Amino acid sequence: MLTKKTGIATLVMIWVGALAVSLLGFYLLNHGIMSMQGLPLNLDLTPAQ
Amino acid sequence: MSISLWVKPLVLPLLLLLLGMTGLAWGVDGAAPQPLRGDYPDIGISSRAVVWVLAQLHLFFGALILAVPLFVLVIEFLGIITGDQRYDDMAREFLKISLVGFTLTAIFGIILTIALFGLYPQLMSYLARVFDGQWLVYLGVFLLENIFLYAYYYSWDRLREGRQKWGHLGLGVMLNLSGVAIMVLANAWVTFMMAPSGITTDGTVVGDIWDVMHGPLWHPMNLHRFIANIAYGGAVVGAYAAFKFLSSRDLAARAHYDWMGYTSNFIAILAFLPLPFAGYWLMAEIYAYSQQMGITAMGGILAWLFIIQAVLIGTILLAGNFYLWSGMSRSEGAVRYQWLIKYIALVLVAGFLVWVTPHTLILTAAERAALGGSHHPVLGPLGIMPAKNIAVNLMLIATFLSFQLYRRADKVVAVPWAAAGNALMTAIYLVAIANIIFVGVYYGYFTNTVYKVGSSVIQVVSTLVVIVSGIIIDSLMFKNAKKLPSHWGQVSNRSQYALFALPVAYTWLMGLMGYVRSSVKTHWHIYGVMKDNSPDNYIPTIGYAGNMITLVTVLFLLGLLFMFWIADRRVKA
Repeated sequence: MLTKKTGIATLVMIWVGALAVSLLGFYLLNHGIMSMQGLPLNLDLTPAQ
Repeated sequence: MSISLWVKPLVLPLLLLLLGMTGLAWGVDGAAPQPLRGDYPDIGISSRAVVWVLAQLHLFFGALILAVPLFVLVIEFLGIITGDQRYDDMAREFLKISLVGFTLTAIFGIILTIALFGLYPQLMSYLARVFDGQWLVYLGVFLLENIFLYAYYYSWDRLREGRQKWGHLGLGVMLNLSGVAIMVLANAWVTFMMAPSGITTDGTVVGDIWDVMHGPLWHPMNLHRFIANIAYGGAVVGAYAAFKFLSSRDLAARAHYDWMGYTSNFIAILAFLPLPFAGYWLMAEIYAYSQQMGITAMGGILAWLFIIQAVLIGTILLAGNFYLWSGMSRSEGAVRYQWLIKYIALVLVAGFLVWVTPHTLILTAAERAALGGSHHPVLGPLGIMPAKNIAVNLMLIATFLSFQLYRRADKVVAVPWAAAGNALMTAIYLVAIANIIFVGVYYGYFTNTVYKVGSSVIQVVSTLVVIVSGIIIDSLMFKNAKKLPSHWGQVSNRSQYALFALPVAYTWLMGLMGYVRSSVKTHWHIYGVMKDNSPDNYIPTIGYAGNMITLVTVLFLLGLLFMFWIADRRVKA
């Protein structure tokens, strides 16, 4: 099993990677869904209109 | 097969045809009729109350018989691909339970048809004229459904082996297609009354039948009822399984009905998870069609019913989750996840409390003065939709987590990437929860209304992302997982009472929301086109409606007991 053989550094990388992928995914999701409704967002997620 | 089995499916179509033709004779071309108070038959009691009870009972049983064959088909299919005879036996038993439901649906349908044509002749004659040939299609599909039902049920033994089994499955597909067709055809009548299409403002038909059926609320109504029926069907047969579990002394029978109850709850909860989103779509379309209608539903007298709705949905979620937590005791592997249950319970209870917090209170002058205004200074913000959207989405995510933990409880993961898979799943949960709270608070309270409404879609999709990714990740991670033993039948009696709570809450909820849906038309038979001038042309008070819904719920539950009794006799036979 990966959890038994790998070191703490690898585990941290896995968790940081998973969080980064999720954050990016939901960030893009927010932009995509609001744009589809004609409600664009700025890069900092504030309303662009 | 007795003659009565052939006679029953013919009665309703012939009756509808006869009454439809009579209706056509009453109608005249052109505008919709505008009946006066004296044109409505007076039978001494409220016509609306009579139709209310009959329509609701017809719908309850109709919902049941639409849903059960659907998951019977899926379970039979599972039996074929897994080769596990237990699936096939369970599918057949589910169908056996619902068989009496078909008869009861038809009986209430016949009485309802007579009552509608007798008590509201002008309205029904106009609807018969507007929908014209569609009535005949409905009758044809109704006949087909009955033919497929009996063919499907009575050929179960004969078409059991080899390729014949696939032929039997084909009959099930046809049964379900005709059942869904009946539902969408009948939905068109209801949505036409709420948001008419294919006619002018005076009711003159200018479009074809597709224009009339294809109104703005038809698709959302079809989706909402389709999903709701599946959840409802699962809950009802779950109660049957619980009843059989509790009344059995034989260990093998208890194991069988425990498994049956688990499957039913699985269906009821899984179908329930996307249901609020279908409801949102329906409400959004109602608002888009008529702001006034939307405000009547959610901002006027009917708004308080959404608080009662929250109580009922909270009951369903708490009961469904409790059953899953209790069921985890079947497997020793559940110990790994039990520490999470208290946090899930915390989210459910907190979400429930937010959801039931009202916005505008009915207060005396003294109470208002003591409160410092119409809204509570601290709890007031929890009364509006952004807070409730956060609450409901988090409750659904918490329920899915219970469901996921239950599914994982009897398995030991074997794939080498398990740590990465778990990390990704956990990250998706955490970020989705953070996103739902951020979007709800920021756009809900600190931006304009358009962004506030638009952002609720983000919350819905965030929840769906958790559910879909959870199913995908677990399917891949636990594909060849080691299975730990599950001890079916070794579950607490308390868990079975949760299975009884589900259909009661579902039935009351469906009655309640049916009342809301129908009442948003206010004093119109057909919104904006044909006025209701009957003595009942007003929205009944919440107390009166509550009594009516309770009456219908009790009557349905009695009908259900009758259905279980007959099913029990069939199973023993």
